[in-house]
Amino acid sequence: MAKLLFEWDYSSYPGAKTYPNLFQPIQIGNLTVPNRIKYAATEDNLNDHNGFVTDADVAYIRSRAEGVVGGLCFMQGVYMDEAQKGQGYVGQAACWDDKYVEGLRRLADAIHGERAIAGFQLMDCGRVGAVDVDRGHAPSTVPQRLRIFKPMYEMTNEEVKEMVRQHADAAIRGIEAGFDVIEISGIVGYLISNFLSSYTNRRTDEYGGDIRGRCQAMVEIIQEVKKVCGADIPVGIRLCSDELLNDVKGNTPEESMETYKIAEEAGADYISCTLGWQESIYPVISRDIPQGNWLYLAKRAKEHVKIPIQMAYRLFTPDRPNKAIGDGDLDIWEMCRSMIADPLMPKKVLEGREDEIRHCVACNLCLARLFRDAPMTCYINPTCAHEHDESFTPKPVEEDDKKDVMIVGAGPAGLECAYVAGMRGHEVHVYDKREEMGGTVLEASRAPYGDEELMTCPHYQKEMCEKAGVEFHLGAEVTEELIQDEMPDTVVLATGPVYSKIQGKGGDRKNVVNVLDVMAGTAEVGENVIVWGNRKPGIGVALKLAKEGKKVTIVGREKSAGFDVNPSFKWRYMIYLKQNGVMAYNDCDIEEINDNEIIVKTYDGYRLPVKCDTVIVSEREANDGLKNVVQAEGIELFVIGDALVPRNMSSAVHDGYRIGLRI
Amino acid sequence: MPVNAEKEISKLWRSLHRAQGEIFKTYYRWREVAIELAGPESKPLDIGLRAAEMMGKDIGKSLLPRLNWLKGEEGFMMGLSRSLAGMWVTEGGIASAEKGENPGEIFIKCTRCPWPTAAKEYGVPMEEVALSRERLFQTILEDVNVFFNINLKIEMLKAIPRGEGMYLFRLYKEN
Repeated sequence: MAKLLFEWDYSSYPGAKTYPNLFQPIQIGNLTVPNRIKYAATEDNLNDHNGFVTDADVAYIRSRAEGVVGGLCFMQGVYMDEAQKGQGYVGQAACWDDKYVEGLRRLADAIHGERAIAGFQLMDCGRVGAVDVDRGHAPSTVPQRLRIFKPMYEMTNEEVKEMVRQHADAAIRGIEAGFDVIEISGIVGYLISNFLSSYTNRRTDEYGGDIRGRCQAMVEIIQEVKKVCGADIPVGIRLCSDELLNDVKGNTPEESMETYKIAEEAGADYISCTLGWQESIYPVISRDIPQGNWLYLAKRAKEHVKIPIQMAYRLFTPDRPNKAIGDGDLDIWEMCRSMIADPLMPKKVLEGREDEIRHCVACNLCLARLFRDAPMTCYINPTCAHEHDESFTPKPVEEDDKKDVMIVGAGPAGLECAYVAGMRGHEVHVYDKREEMGGTVLEASRAPYGDEELMTCPHYQKEMCEKAGVEFHLGAEVTEELIQDEMPDTVVLATGPVYSKIQGKGGDRKNVVNVLDVMAGTAEVGENVIVWGNRKPGIGVALKLAKEGKKVTIVGREKSAGFDVNPSFKWRYMIYLKQNGVMAYNDCDIEEINDNEIIVKTYDGYRLPVKCDTVIVSEREANDGLKNVVQAEGIELFVIGDALVPRNMSSAVHDGYRIGLRI
Repeated sequence: MPVNAEKEISKLWRSLHRAQGEIFKTYYRWREVAIELAGPESKPLDIGLRAAEMMGKDIGKSLLPRLNWLKGEEGFMMGLSRSLAGMWVTEGGIASAEKGENPGEIFIKCTRCPWPTAAKEYGVPMEEVALSRERLFQTILEDVNVFFNINLKIEMLKAIPRGEGMYLFRLYKEN
């Protein structure tokens, strides 16, 4: 009979009725998992640089364990070699010695404390490892495509066998620390995937050659880890279902399915189905990829193996995985980024509180940070990786300290600040001259390539505001008189930016329009369009118009377009600009606007004419409006979001949250 | 004020040529430093060839993200050849890549190369200029070959510094 670690009864919860397939038990190996939910192992760079687990990581994992409501919660993958060749992240946990067991036990205990199943992942980063040493190890010495990765040397046959042993030893330590499931990572460019791929494995010995030879290291690892785990501890593996490396002669999808079958034969109790490598030239998880896009790969995997198949990858809402499980195309719904953005996401699904979910906007800032040796940060969730820090938790204010707070602007900064201050007990009033909440996100979300998902942020904030008792005054412009009439204790200016004026000749012409009006469809736009400003708002409007068939040119002061977009997403925009024929003059400004052309001036003084019927202004500045009025009345003042410094939605949310805590 | 296109273009043109000139000056100044530091026992040709290897290795790495096997073997080789010819064009040369008569063979032709003229100013032997270019191209191929698991070779058939009127390189696949 299969082992059940914790009893869970979901029958009385609304989410179990709406999504019945997600809250059905499943057996993996000899273990019964009460539901179909998994927080997948995700690096967070929160541990110390010697591989010891920190309080920050324990708190981070505990909150995700609470979120999976009895399901699987995996800690980040551990590296297993003292030489640190397998270490891919500076804050990655280590497991090459017994001295790490105590810290690892804290993670297992934290997960068990939430009555969830504790997962332990073994991850030698191989080709993308050696973060702190000069050279990494790999099956063959294939040069790196990306310069950020270290050179590799070819492992000897003995070193491969040693690596297999390290996996087994680390599994023993994981079990000793109290983990219930062991998972082997073989994806995205990590060591096992390097052995599996024809791109990176050129060996001619027993660990190379055809697909079966390339799988030999994986087979030995699975078998050795299974041996130490015994019958009661399931062993799973994460494997690419499609490497997306056909441009460099990687495995075919058929070969990838062969790896699945061989892993099953070797004794794997489940497979986590992934796709793409860090080196792939195709996008996989960014916002421009539709939700559920990759489910066909899970289905294909199910057709090739009998063991349970798990998958994350653009499955941010419960409907798709619930259906896929019902259809027999998937067994377990994995989450990484969606639970970075909201650790309690599945719990809220279960409790019927879906409108309280803070959805990931698939910007990949989290990845960009990890690849640059920075601790995990979430674009949309200010508390991410601060779970251990009391100062990030909203605390109720004393009765005497309660304030009457006026927030001017119902954009992401104002709304975030409003619900946090409201939750703490302040009386919060949000004013906006518009009838609709969302601020400039209303317009920004009309840009193509998935930007409609940005609206999930104000939707969440609005819901939270309503729960916190925030009062809204929409269609009400805040004036000096209104402030003097209301005389609140605190004013938060979240009014958004002001749009810059073109200083050159012709800046006041009728064909100069504002980016918000264009995005809203209220401004007339000609066929030859100049977008002034090469940050994200400029890129968004440029792509929208280019897709409508306009000839679009961006002129901006930043040295490169998309300067404010994180590198893990920026490359997508650069490709789309090129595909849509958008020309960008960076490090330039508009000197003059004439009848049918503008004069672009480069940073070093060259001048060139560009054909143009309409100029769209997307350059922004801080908004000082009302600041003096508030200060003159001696009212406590905070300026947040783009009103303070024009940046992005993330800065607005983070500003709002922090000030919400401070008031 | 209307743009005087002729004036703007000629200003840009001058700037480009100045920048191109700096490439050679910088390289040959550093060559002099390297020879001085290496001491009287060293051979300038060895230093020049080692520099070509280091540059070739680096250029090879920078090509890896841009080359794409999906274009097929011929398309891949043509893409690589155009990148090599493009290096010359960036430096102020005239160069092109053309398919050879045999399959898997491409010729890279350069009919104007600014390096020999610059080398003369710094007293560099012409044979060193020719051999450095050959070594540069050969080293570029090293990482490309390993990365894409192929075996491309390149050979220099003619060289401007040898008085042969043009550079002619043959890129081919060795079976």
